Amino acid sequence: MQSSKKVVVLGHFGVGKTSLIRRFVTDTFSDNYKVTIGVHITKKVVEIAVDSTISLILWDLEGTDDIQSIRQSYLLGTHGAVFVFDISRPSTFQHLNEDLQLVAEKMPEVPLMVVGNKSDLVEDAELKNLLQAQELTVDFLTSAKTGSAVNELFLKLATILSSDA
Amino acid sequence: MLKEFRQQYTSTNEQFVLTDKTGLVLESEQTLFHIKKGSSIFEFHLFFESLVPLLEGIADEETSFHCIHIEHDGQLYIVDILAVVKKAGLLLIIKNLTDHYNAYQNVTQTRNESVIKTELTVLKNLELQERERFKNRFIQNFSHELRNPLTSIMGITELLGDTKMSDNQQKMLDFLKESNTNLRLMLEDTLSIGMIDAGKLEIKQKLFGLQRLFELIQFTYNAKAKSKALNFDCSWDVKIPEFVEGDRLRLFQVVTNLLDNAIKYTEKGTVSFSVQLNQKRANTASIRFRVTDTGLGISKENQEVIFESFYRSDGSEKTKGTGLGLTITKRLLELMGSKIRLKSELDKGSEFYFDMVFKYPLLSSLETKSLHTDQESSITSNGKEQRKFKILLVDDDAYVQTTLFKMLLNTNRFKIDLAYDGAMVFQEVVSNNYDLILMDVNLPNLNGIQITKLIKDFPFNNIKNIPIIGITANAYQENIDQCLKAGMRKVLIKPFEKEELLQTLYKVLL
Repeated sequence: MQSSKKVVVLGHFGVGKTSLIRRFVTDTFSDNYKVTIGVHITKKVVEIAVDSTISLILWDLEGTDDIQSIRQSYLLGTHGAVFVFDISRPSTFQHLNEDLQLVAEKMPEVPLMVVGNKSDLVEDAELKNLLQAQELTVDFLTSAKTGSAVNELFLKLATILSSDA
Repeated sequence: MLKEFRQQYTSTNEQFVLTDKTGLVLESEQTLFHIKKGSSIFEFHLFFESLVPLLEGIADEETSFHCIHIEHDGQLYIVDILAVVKKAGLLLIIKNLTDHYNAYQNVTQTRNESVIKTELTVLKNLELQERERFKNRFIQNFSHELRNPLTSIMGITELLGDTKMSDNQQKMLDFLKESNTNLRLMLEDTLSIGMIDAGKLEIKQKLFGLQRLFELIQFTYNAKAKSKALNFDCSWDVKIPEFVEGDRLRLFQVVTNLLDNAIKYTEKGTVSFSVQLNQKRANTASIRFRVTDTGLGISKENQEVIFESFYRSDGSEKTKGTGLGLTITKRLLELMGSKIRLKSELDKGSEFYFDMVFKYPLLSSLETKSLHTDQESSITSNGKEQRKFKILLVDDDAYVQTTLFKMLLNTNRFKIDLAYDGAMVFQEVVSNNYDLILMDVNLPNLNGIQITKLIKDFPFNNIKNIPIIGITANAYQENIDQCLKAGMRKVLIKPFEKEELLQTLYKVLL
């Protein structure tokens, strides 16, 4: 039987949460930035193994620079979370460790993926230096624009959620 | 009456739905969405799946969900939903706030875009500042590294002049000297790009031989053009005054930048340098300088950006040079009250030209030449020069030390001792009576500034009062100020010519 899992995608505004989901669900990308308010919900069925699928219900949350202010009701019944930051804008990751701590407090026991998006805007070497300098540990460096590592990210999360079921 | 109005104005924006404990719809209004009785609320929209955990909640427990996007029958609704746990199941109160949230979306869009734009502008500025710092550091280090070998080259060239040479060798040596001088001047100019940016570069108005400058350009660029199998045409109007007042260094730099560029980007054909007299009035002359080539040419759009720092006309990294030439040219001409102009066609060639107004003296060239004074010869007429001065020369660079030693020794006016570090300096000053110390700043262990301070703290007047002249490859004013503050009387910036060295020494000694 196909199970469905709620995944919240959160982070500061303008980091590309909506674009990541759009790339994953419809394999499209737009350069036009449209602010998300509240929450948009979409679904994608992911094949994690032969004859084994999982349905991800993706909650695209409004971006905020104050993670504490995320409404608790949005997180109700969450199975997995993706925290996205923009590697080209330091303000979105300069308090990353504190932000992740808050996320963990709000959603204890929920598997979390930490994602640096817009990897197409920064050179590889510069990226390595940046991560080292800021002491950041990320699970994926993605580009919603090029599609780089987007499917891998959600597939990994789906696999984790599937094994948790 | 009010009840009617209330129903009229609120009912269309609100919908009550009641489900059982399994999510089956028991009752539903149809004001916003068509939700059938007996259907599963979870199948109506993905949002409602998240309510499953609430079904096990305590009676009358309320949970609010704001700004939920629900697409229904091709229309987007943005709603708030209040879920209340009831005995039967869940009561859902759905409020349509689409208009309100759309207005909020517009405000948030403007705000977020503005914040991001500001942030990116700040980042861009930081990046530009960092690039500027890197450029200045690079220029500083680069010029510093060149100063020592250039000092040796210039010194040895001077020494060659004291040997017996054929006329032809003498002529070559003259051009070698001038090239050394120009190389030094270029080094200074490269260093001064930062000063141009800071508005600190001063244009000097001194008398110089304009036609002599053209001869040098002709000689130099004939050779350069020949090495690329190009023709070099050089012509100037004979009515141009022989001597003018202006900044020879800056003019030379502008012209050579343009010529170097022309040769760099021309693979076949001709590079030309021509100078025309526009007009003479009273004692001023307006002169047009023109550099043309039959090279790559520059497209219309690139003509806008060609004067920016580090721009390369062919866009390649292969071309040699700093990429600062045209920027310096443009900025220098602006400082001299002129403006660079460009006519160019892709694949046909380019023409750079500018007009410049010079004052010129109403003197014959012979009289003008006699204006040049020679410190050395004036000193010869002074009785004091007969005495030999005892000098301690401190430099750890063997080449520079040898060059300076020979320069001074050849004048037959100095007795010279050598030292290469602080320990040797202290040993020498205690056991000798020196008239002067010539001290390099960049020394191992104790540097020249530290040694100077220690000498100035000596309890013996004959030591603490020895005049010290600093020698440094670091041409920045702050470094010179540090030297003077430490007690040095003068500071010579590498590279320097023999005449400059001797003039400085005599000023302090006599």
